[in-house]
Amino acid sequence: MATSLVRQTKLLSIVTSQLSSAACFRNIHCTAACLKNRAARIRVAKGDKPVTYEQAYHPHHIGHRKGWLSQHTSNLQGEDGAAERVVEDVFIRRFMYGTFHGCLADEIVIKRRGNLLVICAVMIQKLLPSKFYFLIGYTEELLSHFYKCPVKIEMQTVEEKVVYKYL
Amino acid sequence: MASSCSQALRHHVCKSSRILRVHLQKAWPNRSFVLNPAADQQPAVSSPEEEIVIPKKKTWSKEAVLQALASTVNRDPTASDYRFQDDPYLTPKTSSEFKLFSLSQESGRNAAKYFISTYPKYFQKDYAQPHIPCLMPETLEAQIEEVSEAALIERIQMRKVKAAVDLYDQLQQAGTPVSLDVTNQLLDLICFYGDCDPAQENVPEQRNEETEDVQDEPQTKKGRASKASDKLKAAWKENNNAERIFALLSEPNTHSYSALIRGMVKYGAYSKAFSTYTDLLNNQLKADVSTFNALITAAPEVKEKYNEKWELIVDLLKQMAEQKVKPNLLTLNAVLKALRRCGTVGKSQAFPVISEMRALSIDPSLASYNHLLSIFYKPGAPFQGQTDILQEVMNEVSGKSFTPQDPDDAQFFITAVRICLDTKDIEQAYRVHELLGVGENWRLLGNDFQQNIYHARFFSLLCMMENIDVVLKWYRDLVPSVYYPSSNVMRDLLQALDTDNRLDLIPQIWKDLKQLGHGNRQTLVEELLTLMAREKQNQEVQETFAECALDIKKMYDTGDRGKVMMSWTAGSLSDLVSVLLAAQRRQDAWEILKLFKTHNRVPSEELLDKFLTCIKESGDVNQALELVQISAGFCLPGTPKLIQRVQQEFLLSEQQKSMLSDLEIQTFNSD
Repeated sequence: MATSLVRQTKLLSIVTSQLSSAACFRNIHCTAACLKNRAARIRVAKGDKPVTYEQAYHPHHIGHRKGWLSQHTSNLQGEDGAAERVVEDVFIRRFMYGTFHGCLADEIVIKRRGNLLVICAVMIQKLLPSKFYFLIGYTEELLSHFYKCPVKIEMQTVEEKVVYKYL
Repeated sequence: MASSCSQALRHHVCKSSRILRVHLQKAWPNRSFVLNPAADQQPAVSSPEEEIVIPKKKTWSKEAVLQALASTVNRDPTASDYRFQDDPYLTPKTSSEFKLFSLSQESGRNAAKYFISTYPKYFQKDYAQPHIPCLMPETLEAQIEEVSEAALIERIQMRKVKAAVDLYDQLQQAGTPVSLDVTNQLLDLICFYGDCDPAQENVPEQRNEETEDVQDEPQTKKGRASKASDKLKAAWKENNNAERIFALLSEPNTHSYSALIRGMVKYGAYSKAFSTYTDLLNNQLKADVSTFNALITAAPEVKEKYNEKWELIVDLLKQMAEQKVKPNLLTLNAVLKALRRCGTVGKSQAFPVISEMRALSIDPSLASYNHLLSIFYKPGAPFQGQTDILQEVMNEVSGKSFTPQDPDDAQFFITAVRICLDTKDIEQAYRVHELLGVGENWRLLGNDFQQNIYHARFFSLLCMMENIDVVLKWYRDLVPSVYYPSSNVMRDLLQALDTDNRLDLIPQIWKDLKQLGHGNRQTLVEELLTLMAREKQNQEVQETFAECALDIKKMYDTGDRGKVMMSWTAGSLSDLVSVLLAAQRRQDAWEILKLFKTHNRVPSEELLDKFLTCIKESGDVNQALELVQISAGFCLPGTPKLIQRVQQEFLLSEQQKSMLSDLEIQTFNSD
């Protein structure tokens, strides 16, 4: 059984080398499958799952029925730093999710204006306002020192999560 | 092609305009000043020295556009302070909430700073170009470990008083000579902090007194809150480190003496300061201007009588002139501050001092004006003909923008508005308020506590002096975006409403009171009820009063945990009943009447009379009888009269008549 496996891999390597040498570049997919047609979509289910506006519309609706969650200029012609912005955004989203645990009503919108990083969040009125202000002061200070740029939080509160429809 | 085309066009235009002009000139012979273009006219004979001066190119700062845009925007009276989020849930509505939210935000920042300084390795990566030093983690521990002068300098810069003194002692014992400069710096450090380590704001466990000023501003600025004073005045101890190190110096110079004297004055050892000064003179050294300032500040403390104090100050100033030391603004302020304690001598000498300093081109700052006003307007003293000094000061100061040059600058606005309040001078108060809007003067209003005082005084003065429309305009402008009024100020507002006969605004004021957190203050609420019950208003107003009164009743009933419970008094209950009766709400009034019994209060006779009149209008006989029984239950002396009224005005059945006559006999017997 082992020998047959060895033979198969040898065959595979020969095939791939031939293929790549023949100028058609199909390689082996080594990562987990991230299907474009399943990303950021909540599938229709029984009808009891509450879903916000952001979650209800699929990614192809961005620009048509949804806005952008992260606004910066790195994707313009001639600008660089797009990858760094993405990594920063991911970190900021996880940070906010953890710091304001259970209070986020919807996805965070991150806007960059010049040097300034503005984090816009909608929160549920789960904590007392003084606790919110403590976390706001903490987040602003920590992220400012981390990213070496002024970070401001613009927060809005709602009484409960705003449900758009039930899927 | 295009150029020739345009040329032809231009030519054509010129020709046509010339033709037009010729025609027009013919038509209007004498009107020539409008129609002749400049080119047609003869050039006027210009004077030979009139040259065209091309101005130098202006360089604008980088923020010039932003500043110009900012100057077009005024304060938004509907928004809360810039520190807070723009959301109704997160906006503070009372002054205690304001303090709580700003303090919790500040403590969040301190928590973050703690993490940043404890784990600095995660914050070292520097993305910013140019480098932003304040966003890097700061080192709180001294780096240099070995016993050397550089380590001493480092500890001095990090303001570690005890560590610096220990290191100095180690250096002395090891025999390494420490230069005079470094020793002077060490003396400065010890004398500034009074030989104890400064309070570390970012490390919560080391803070021993919780003053809100320390938490509010990271730099330890002393506010006028009552708790702040005990933070500062640790007294100057005998033989403390400063004196010891000073004694070890072989050749102390001016700087060393200066540090020692200023430390002594700051921490209350005034006579010692003067003896050190005499030492300095004996060593044939000259003092510098800050030493003299400190000595002048200390002068009123060492002498008792006004004349002696003034003579000492004059003596010091003369010595200053002898030693050719130029005075500065702080000298002027020190002299004026000392003159505050000199009584009548102060009043006569204040203006000459200012004019002499002016002659030396020292312009007074707001602190000087503050001291001047305090010299002439002592709190609580009656004023005789001094009202024009405030006016003169305001004439000097109006329209100018001041920068902070002296810690006492922040007292100016509070003193000025206190004087306006005491002398009831609304014109000057408006000028003071206008001065706040000029340039950077808003920075000189002080911390939140001082701002509160300023606005309280200003608003009380407005309530006293202006008519109600102006008061309400200012009310809507200031409250609650800038100022959360206390219950005293709200009472002033109610009085203003009363004076101007606008009692119909009371329900709105009640809503504001509830929002400000004053809804459970007994005196305020009782005053509201009295004002509502005093006169009969027209119908809609009476309706609103009734609604408001019922709302007030709810405040008495609900006992929120932590809220102060109010207790009913006979007066407040009567007022409530009167208001409800005036709005024809008999049923509600009846409920309230029952409350008299439950809360052990006795209703007055006029109240019951009024109630009976009201019942008569509806003709409910049973209620009238119950009313009489209630009155009898309280053993009121007016019960027989009530019984008579009922017998006369109502149609009674036999049973009711007999009941009434029984009651009458009862009350007659009990008298």
